[in-house]
Amino acid sequence: MNPKFAEYSQPDVLVDTEWLAANLDTPGIRIVESNEDLLLYDVGHIPGAVHIDWRRDLNDQTTRDYVGPEAFAELCRRNGITPDTTVIFYGDKSNWWACYAFWVFQLFGHTKAKVLDGGRDKWEAEGRPLTRATPKPEPVDYPVPAQRDDASHRAYFQQTLEHMRAGGRMVDVRSPKEYSGEMTHMPEYPQEGVLRGGHIPGARSCPWARAAKEDKTFKTRAELEAIYAGELGLKTDDDIIAYCRIGERSSHTWFVLKYLLGYQKVRNYDGSWTEWGNMVRTPIEKSI
Amino acid sequence: MSYPAALQEIIEFFELLPEPERRENLIHYSDAAASCVRKEGQVFDLEDVRKDEECTDTVGVFLHVDEAGAARFAIELGPKVQTLTKAMTAILCRGLNGSTPEEVLAVPADFVPRIVGADLVRLRSQTVYYVLSRMKTAVKMLLDRRRAQAADASDRNTSLPAA
Repeated sequence: MNPKFAEYSQPDVLVDTEWLAANLDTPGIRIVESNEDLLLYDVGHIPGAVHIDWRRDLNDQTTRDYVGPEAFAELCRRNGITPDTTVIFYGDKSNWWACYAFWVFQLFGHTKAKVLDGGRDKWEAEGRPLTRATPKPEPVDYPVPAQRDDASHRAYFQQTLEHMRAGGRMVDVRSPKEYSGEMTHMPEYPQEGVLRGGHIPGARSCPWARAAKEDKTFKTRAELEAIYAGELGLKTDDDIIAYCRIGERSSHTWFVLKYLLGYQKVRNYDGSWTEWGNMVRTPIEKSI
Repeated sequence: MSYPAALQEIIEFFELLPEPERRENLIHYSDAAASCVRKEGQVFDLEDVRKDEECTDTVGVFLHVDEAGAARFAIELGPKVQTLTKAMTAILCRGLNGSTPEEVLAVPADFVPRIVGADLVRLRSQTVYYVLSRMKTAVKMLLDRRRAQAADASDRNTSLPAA
């Protein structure tokens, strides 16, 4: 095992590029690419990888919500994923969407899941093979999960509001200018329909990127602890909510806190700033 | 609304495609974006290279308008630009090269969903509109510059002392 992983709270939640390259054909594994760039998978992907599109496959198409148990089971079936399959997620943007897809899989209790450390960027940077050949997995059975377990992993608006009023710990993982209220869009992105700039009162700023190295891999446990325990003062039994704009960058931080550092109760507020910032009669703070 | 003929042809081609073939053709166009760059020996009247705060990477737009009034674009994209934006770049170069500046300025953006399909026009893919806006900006800058130059020349002529 990669010695860096051994330091994490759950070392087996990550694989590195070297391991994946040697295990592309290992039975019982399904590699899943999830990207922000909608056509990136079509341009080339890790051999054998299937594509899960965050918007088309994971979001409900008419309600701002995630797919239900039936649709999740169907998604798994058509991608050759059974409850015993180990799903290895990777993607662009330092694994934002890979962590997001991983998080959605946890809503349905699919715990045989891992993330490729460094994601697509590292795989490409190392000159490892990509293909345009699309796998055609044999349809398999995936029993419909009894329910979607939102309570353990997800925070709704009302819960976040109560959390704020109770002085609960919140981590705003957006860029500093989004947090302060100076910008209503993410750096390098167009406006996404946010009416107000600022942050949830009481939330601490800690941009997601602080958890990643230049090569897009996660920082070491010691480096992460220095940030989240040292600077933010988070304790392992704190009830923590992470948020961003729509829940993808905060999935990255959720993954770091829960799996790499072992925080016991971390939830992702996927409504995030596009909900909170626009909600009528909802308080915000600015720091400009 | 009418579009320049070459762009109209591309729109009609994409509209008839089922989703898998639409994606396949978008990939072909994204591959072709590399050929939209400046070629050796080409001369341009205007160069607008910048990285806007709301974009992931630098986009360079190069424009030449010949004596007959036909516009020719070259576009250079930074490596972080999304695949769909690359595809739209190649589509727009092919669809708008040869048009007059006025025709380029009159192109409405409503053709984008007809090419890329409703599924791909969504949050985090809005940069597909960006390249068209940059091409229009380049045309407008060039027209403004030429108008200013013409006005300067006219002023100089009228202020010359009588012989």
